[in-house]
Amino acid sequence: MAILRVIHLQIIAILLCGLNCAQGQKQAAPEYQVKAVFLFNFAQFVEWPPSAFSETNDIIIGVLGENPFGNFLGETVRGEEVNGHPLKVQHYAKIEEIKACHILFINLTEALEIKHAITNLKPKHTLTVSDVDGFTAQGGMIRFFNEDKKTRMRINLPATKDAELKISSKLLRLAEIVSSKKQQ
Amino acid sequence: MKTSTSIQRKLMRMIALTSGAALMLTCASYFVYEFFTFRQAMISQLTILGEAISTNSTAALAFQNSDDAAETLTALKSDKHIVAACLYDKEGTLFAKYPSALPNSIFPRVPQEESFHFENTHLAGFQNVIQNGKRLGTLYLRSDIGAMYERFQLYAVIAILVIGFSFLLSYLLSKRLQQRISKPILALAKTARDISKNDDYSVRVVKLDDDEVGVLTEAINQMLTRIEEQTEEILSLNQGLEQKIIDRTSELQAANKELESFSYSVSHDLRAPLRSIHSYINILSEEYGEKLDNEARRLIAIVTSNSKKMGQLIDDLLAFSRLGRRELLRTPLNMNSLVSSVWEDQIRLQERSNVKLSSADLPNAVGDSAAITQVWTNLISNALKYSRHKECSMVDIGHFQKEDMTVYFVRDNGAGFDMKYYDKLFGVFQRLHSAKEFEGTGVGLAIVQRIVTRHGGTVWAESKVNEGTTFYFSLQNKSVSD
Repeated sequence: MAILRVIHLQIIAILLCGLNCAQGQKQAAPEYQVKAVFLFNFAQFVEWPPSAFSETNDIIIGVLGENPFGNFLGETVRGEEVNGHPLKVQHYAKIEEIKACHILFINLTEALEIKHAITNLKPKHTLTVSDVDGFTAQGGMIRFFNEDKKTRMRINLPATKDAELKISSKLLRLAEIVSSKKQQ
Repeated sequence: MKTSTSIQRKLMRMIALTSGAALMLTCASYFVYEFFTFRQAMISQLTILGEAISTNSTAALAFQNSDDAAETLTALKSDKHIVAACLYDKEGTLFAKYPSALPNSIFPRVPQEESFHFENTHLAGFQNVIQNGKRLGTLYLRSDIGAMYERFQLYAVIAILVIGFSFLLSYLLSKRLQQRISKPILALAKTARDISKNDDYSVRVVKLDDDEVGVLTEAINQMLTRIEEQTEEILSLNQGLEQKIIDRTSELQAANKELESFSYSVSHDLRAPLRSIHSYINILSEEYGEKLDNEARRLIAIVTSNSKKMGQLIDDLLAFSRLGRRELLRTPLNMNSLVSSVWEDQIRLQERSNVKLSSADLPNAVGDSAAITQVWTNLISNALKYSRHKECSMVDIGHFQKEDMTVYFVRDNGAGFDMKYYDKLFGVFQRLHSAKEFEGTGVGLAIVQRIVTRHGGTVWAESKVNEGTTFYFSLQNKSVSD
């Protein structure tokens, strides 16, 4: 039912956006709606080590920087849980604020800022996601990019291994893999 | 209904039918079992295949990668019976299909409930694609049921082979096994046939087994023994009877001969004293007739007439008994001339003039001339005698054929007799009329009957009082040895 409600909301959101995009930051672009769902789906195809849940039982999806999803991400994960872990959305302004986070969408544009964020991220087992060019080269784990008007992914496999995250082979099959540190 | 089929064939047919029916039933039940289990197996196979595909396409659905989903689906080509497959995303729109060349219209527009079911020529159904308890989409699979037909074809071939082989085996087995039952029965039947054909009750059936047929064989053998004993008994009884008959006959013949010779000698010896009585009465009437009065002469006349009558009686008796003693001399006889000479004699003897004879042309016969002349004489004289009171004696003589005999008859229009006294007609000294009315001794017809019987024929008569009598006698066409 929750899924159906999400679908419903998605459709409504798309319609509303199509009719009137001037409603402000609360409305997400279609591209980000897809990305929001992808973020949610990562929770299903990524396995965290048990220690990742020492602070909290929730799977926390964090957004660093400006929120491009409006409240769509929140709606998407509301009431959902994966393997007994309820999903929650957190918004962060600074990297230092983050105590426990499992999936972190980094919405920063400056390369230095990104570098700073990655190196100063406190939780060890956080899947970092962004759609900025060169994200994986800077040590980010998953980068969204567009191809034939579709959202594709590039995954920095060594970085995920360093973070002790197990990414499902099914997900890996769909993505471009960056496997050596040199390629970064 | 009676059938002429041998017990051998019946037994074999029985065995073949029984085993055939059992086989058919077995094969049919296996077939039904196969049908249902194979359908079940097909469904579970398809379900397993669907689960494998589903599991592999979760990420593709989750991250909206239809190319990857299509690639996953192409793995289905390893199963040649999967004719179509597709994935719907969780909104229910077609996401990926297999084979990719198929038009979208082939697939159901929207996914339906999770289940597989048989359509006319296909097995098809839906399966949810689930990851961590979340439905990500729906998989549709369609398989042709060629596999099932292939399986059934194979099954039919095997069934036909098994049935055929079993029939052959049961035929060969029954051919050998039925002999144990049919052989003693057939032997029994053959013996029974031989017995009734040859009337040979000394034959015994060989007992082959101690079963019911063995008991039957024993019973038949016992019956045969009994029949043989009884037949012997009857035969010996018959022989005794025959011997008895021969003995009695010869005794009777001896007694008869004795009686005949006695009556002959009696009548012969009676003639001498009678002749003497006759001569002395003659002397008495001639020598002393004038000295006697009328009354004495009347008495002498009565004695004379009675002694004459007695002489006639003795003559007739002698003639009758001579008939039994004399050998018959058979010669061809011209019946026409015989009848006409007898007729002439009788007319003269009885001094008759008011008579009329109508005689047909009579066929010749074979017999003793004197004896047959006697027959004609007695019958014609009777006809004339008993019709003499009529205005005109009408005598009709003729013949007809009856089987292999020629029947001669003499018909008159005389006094006739009452048929209720017919039994006495041919008896010796038996008379149906008084001597006053018609004279005679009552020996004539007895003589006729005796002669005709000795010639192998029969005599009979038909009569009506006052209307006349017809006497018939038959003679064999050919001469027979007496």
